[in-house]
Amino acid sequence: MTLQELMQRAGVWRAGELPPRATRPSGFPALDQTLPGGGWPRTGLTEILSSTFGIGALRLVLPELARLSQQGHWIILVNPPHIPYSPALLDEGVDLSRLLIVDLPTKVQSAETEILWAYEQALRFEDCAAALLWLDDAPSLHMRRLQLAAETGATWGVVFRPVRFSSQPSPAVLRLKLDACPVPSVPAGDLLPHKVDVTVLKARGASNGASCRVTM
Amino acid sequence: MVSTASASNSVTQNVRVADNFFHTTIAGNTHPQSRRDDSALWLHLHLPHLPLEVLTRGLNSHEACVLVSGEERHRKVLLANRQAVALGIRAGMQSSAAQVLGQVRVLERNERAEQQALDKLGLWAMQITPMVSRVEPDGLLLEIKGSLKLFGGLEGLLARLRRGLKQLGYRTNYATAPTPLGATLLARANSQRLICDQHQLQLALGALPIEVLQLEAKQHAALVAFGAKRLSDCRRLPRDGLARRLSPAFVDMLDRLFGQIPDPRCALKIPRSFDAELELPWEVDNARALTTAGERLLQELCGYLTANAAQTRHLRWRLLGRDNQIEYFDIKLTRAGRDERHMGLLLRESLARKTLHVPVKGIGLNVSGLTFSTTPATHDLFMQTKNQGGEDEAYAAFVDRLRARCGEQALRRLGIRSAHNPERAWCWQRPVEVSQRRRKGLTHVEERRRQRPLWLLKHAVKLNEEQGQPLFGGRLALTPERERIVNGWWEEAEVARDYFTATTEGGARLWIYRELSGPGHWYLQGIFE
Repeated sequence: MTLQELMQRAGVWRAGELPPRATRPSGFPALDQTLPGGGWPRTGLTEILSSTFGIGALRLVLPELARLSQQGHWIILVNPPHIPYSPALLDEGVDLSRLLIVDLPTKVQSAETEILWAYEQALRFEDCAAALLWLDDAPSLHMRRLQLAAETGATWGVVFRPVRFSSQPSPAVLRLKLDACPVPSVPAGDLLPHKVDVTVLKARGASNGASCRVTM
Repeated sequence: MVSTASASNSVTQNVRVADNFFHTTIAGNTHPQSRRDDSALWLHLHLPHLPLEVLTRGLNSHEACVLVSGEERHRKVLLANRQAVALGIRAGMQSSAAQVLGQVRVLERNERAEQQALDKLGLWAMQITPMVSRVEPDGLLLEIKGSLKLFGGLEGLLARLRRGLKQLGYRTNYATAPTPLGATLLARANSQRLICDQHQLQLALGALPIEVLQLEAKQHAALVAFGAKRLSDCRRLPRDGLARRLSPAFVDMLDRLFGQIPDPRCALKIPRSFDAELELPWEVDNARALTTAGERLLQELCGYLTANAAQTRHLRWRLLGRDNQIEYFDIKLTRAGRDERHMGLLLRESLARKTLHVPVKGIGLNVSGLTFSTTPATHDLFMQTKNQGGEDEAYAAFVDRLRARCGEQALRRLGIRSAHNPERAWCWQRPVEVSQRRRKGLTHVEERRRQRPLWLLKHAVKLNEEQGQPLFGGRLALTPERERIVNGWWEEAEVARDYFTATTEGGARLWIYRELSGPGHWYLQGIFE
């Protein structure tokens, strides 16, 4: 079989030739230039792997969440590690009445299965525009299910995980790695702006390895 | 109201109006015979297998079951289910003989349960017509004339009934006739006849053997002696002779049967709350095994709710355990409704997560909080149920589904409160109430405030210190600015703190504070991101 014949088959394609996915601008011009299609994918899973918790993973998706909630879509947060602080979310323009938190008591037996089930429900819920999940270890089999659920429910799924899972294969549409910028030993002046380095680990329909520095 | 005099005026003026007038109001008075002909149509539902079905319908099991009756030694098979019939078991067989033929569950009759089941079936049938009447021992009579149009004619109505009865776990024979007794006899004769007019009724009933009347032996013998084999023969006999030799009641019965005299029936009354129980033929120790029984109860409930034009948002289930131990559990709906599929889904989720402490032999359902809507939600032409209620139906269904599996507390929304104390400036809210607290009322607090972290720790964590400087993993880089938050001594929790933004060596930005009172320890309270 020649390469040409192989390429005729359905299910075989070149990574760069995929039809561009529908995207939405992220609110960060530098990030938009790096992301394939010029923004966040509208559906499917986006995985954000952080070197340390708290360097800005949530802040990266926040402008888009705020916009979606103002349009009346539901935003669902599953298993957040701490309390999402409502005064700060309000400052960022999130409509709190459209924000739903799903938080399972960790004492429950097989809590991880329950969390994944709840997240899948959120992804399949048609009025939910974005569902966010914080989970360390999600087996790739589950991730495939979630990716499928996000596509069928036309939901943007964002999964936040530590960077040590970057070697694990993932069916996500987009995979980003976040690194904190080296901070000067004595920060000058005010807290802002905060900078973070974003590297594209995997993106359907685009070359990998692109990176940028996002100022937040 | 139009008086007779003005009606006769309108005859001269407008023939069409007069026609309508006479048809609707006077025709009944002048032609009583013709009115009876087409004013009623009775449907009899005959449940020949009720005594067995009432015991087995709660379990979705494929075991062969027989119902036996009689004395200890001479117990005979009264009814056998399909699986038992397949083994070769027939009604009338000795119980011991039946058990030789294969693995068979032998069940005892429970007449109380039969009566309750018939009542519940009657309530369920009230979604078809308000006039539902019981016929002892195993039948229901429904007056369906007024409902034909709603269900798209007789065929549509019967299709709906058949579907529902199958889901409820009953097998029925049915027949229709213009007289209630006629419908009963035709259904018991297993004829499945659908008779709608008087003439056909005479023919169909006339052909029935006199055995269908289930007369006393003496009366039956007398009729046989007269040479009457069929009902048509009875009608040919002289009336006064029949009245004398059998009884006046017999002649009366014949008149009612053929529609010569009226035959009023007593309609079942709708209770103000719903309570039903379904016992299983044997104990189970897995909650999932109760699904079939629960779904059948839901089916009955939804029929009852439809008949009442009512909705509910609270289902109280009870599991009937061994030694009369009862365990309750609730299913609450975000939005009042009577959607059987949705309730079934929630029930399955609840049962799937339930562990039974004792074996269970039945399940019960109680619904007392009914809400009545003046305009009942119907399946309208374009299925626009979503926009009618204001609150989003899809969202309510989603919330119910998650709550049923993950618990009431699993789903929450965030609110905001006007407070200086950071841990009191927010609150949890229930997922369904509409939050009115918007930005407007709070601007005066917010304008003075500096940036807040996206995450708040549930409890502030005390930080280790080195020469008065806070540590978190390693050294922290602090911004020179501080924000002092001091609230009044009159407030519940007194707060006096200096807040700083700190960056860890890994690049995470934290919100930490130092207590102004006491030893001045450092605490981590939030993460900026």
